[in-house]
Amino acid sequence: MALEDIPRLGCGRSIDRIWGTIDRPPTAHEEQCDQCQTARTRLRRLSKATRSLRESDLHNPTMEPRPGIKNAIMDVVRAKVRRGSRILLRSADNGTTEISEQALSSLIRSAAAAIPGVHSRRCRIEIRSAAASVADEDHPTGTTGTSTNAGPRLIINLRVAAAPGIVIPRTVEALRHEISNAIPASVGIGAGTVNITVEDLYDV
Amino acid sequence: MSDQSLQGAIITSQLIASIATRTTLETPGVLRLEPTNQSFLPRLGPAALQNLRHPGSQNGTYQHDGVTATISDGTARVHLYIATDIAYTALHVAEKVQQRVRESISHTGLTPGAIDVTILAIERHHRTTIM
Repeated sequence: MALEDIPRLGCGRSIDRIWGTIDRPPTAHEEQCDQCQTARTRLRRLSKATRSLRESDLHNPTMEPRPGIKNAIMDVVRAKVRRGSRILLRSADNGTTEISEQALSSLIRSAAAAIPGVHSRRCRIEIRSAAASVADEDHPTGTTGTSTNAGPRLIINLRVAAAPGIVIPRTVEALRHEISNAIPASVGIGAGTVNITVEDLYDV
Repeated sequence: MSDQSLQGAIITSQLIASIATRTTLETPGVLRLEPTNQSFLPRLGPAALQNLRHPGSQNGTYQHDGVTATISDGTARVHLYIATDIAYTALHVAEKVQQRVRESISHTGLTPGAIDVTILAIERHHRTTIM
């Protein structure tokens, strides 16, 4: 049996309900009920005090945030989005080089934007060790893929929407070609497997 | 007093971070250093800064926007978070950064340790024209 833990007046009205409507005119019941009227009077005083404190804080110089705090927060938000998970590109005794999944994903979307008739949607990137066999590669149902053996083994799963009337196989092949060229040129590794799923048509 | 202890007093992790920052930003293909969560906390105030630094350690870790530098036993390690220009090959840019930062650190008398680079963004520079 659940126990109700909501403070109530003798008339059965909850304090929370009266507090929630303190800025509105009293209801018919509240106009007649002494307990509700007393509660409203006290809560109105509390509301006024709360508002006053809030206003005071707004104009209190000691409550001002440090200069640049908003920019600092926004910098971190942007960085957080960009970081995501990271993919190791190169590892040596004198240092490692990683790339964020988001950076790769942006590059892929940018390549897709160059192909008329497709809009990129979700892009997921997986990494598999260079030793992984090509025979192990996974092609999801309804997708097509291609692979190269250069660099870390990326598995790119890109979902797109296509314009009605385009020749889908040809357009998808052009998209794959664009991605396969963009990644080596801009990152310096092979594009690996590029799985493309046409999941929808969009209105032109 | 030995030369080694004199170096330890002068070359701080903050200086290494500053050198690494300048060297990185001067490397062709680097657009900027990217701030991280770790570098954000010190900007909140002294209390947060205190929590991040090793108390009483002059040769500890220094973190600023997009760079973390650590000095330990005469070896300087650096981690850089960068954004690169899409007109350049990011992996080559990162290798160049590592090489140049290593050289810069060696000029301080410290031994360059691992120079880790994380590429957080690849973007088109506003003056870049792709042919």
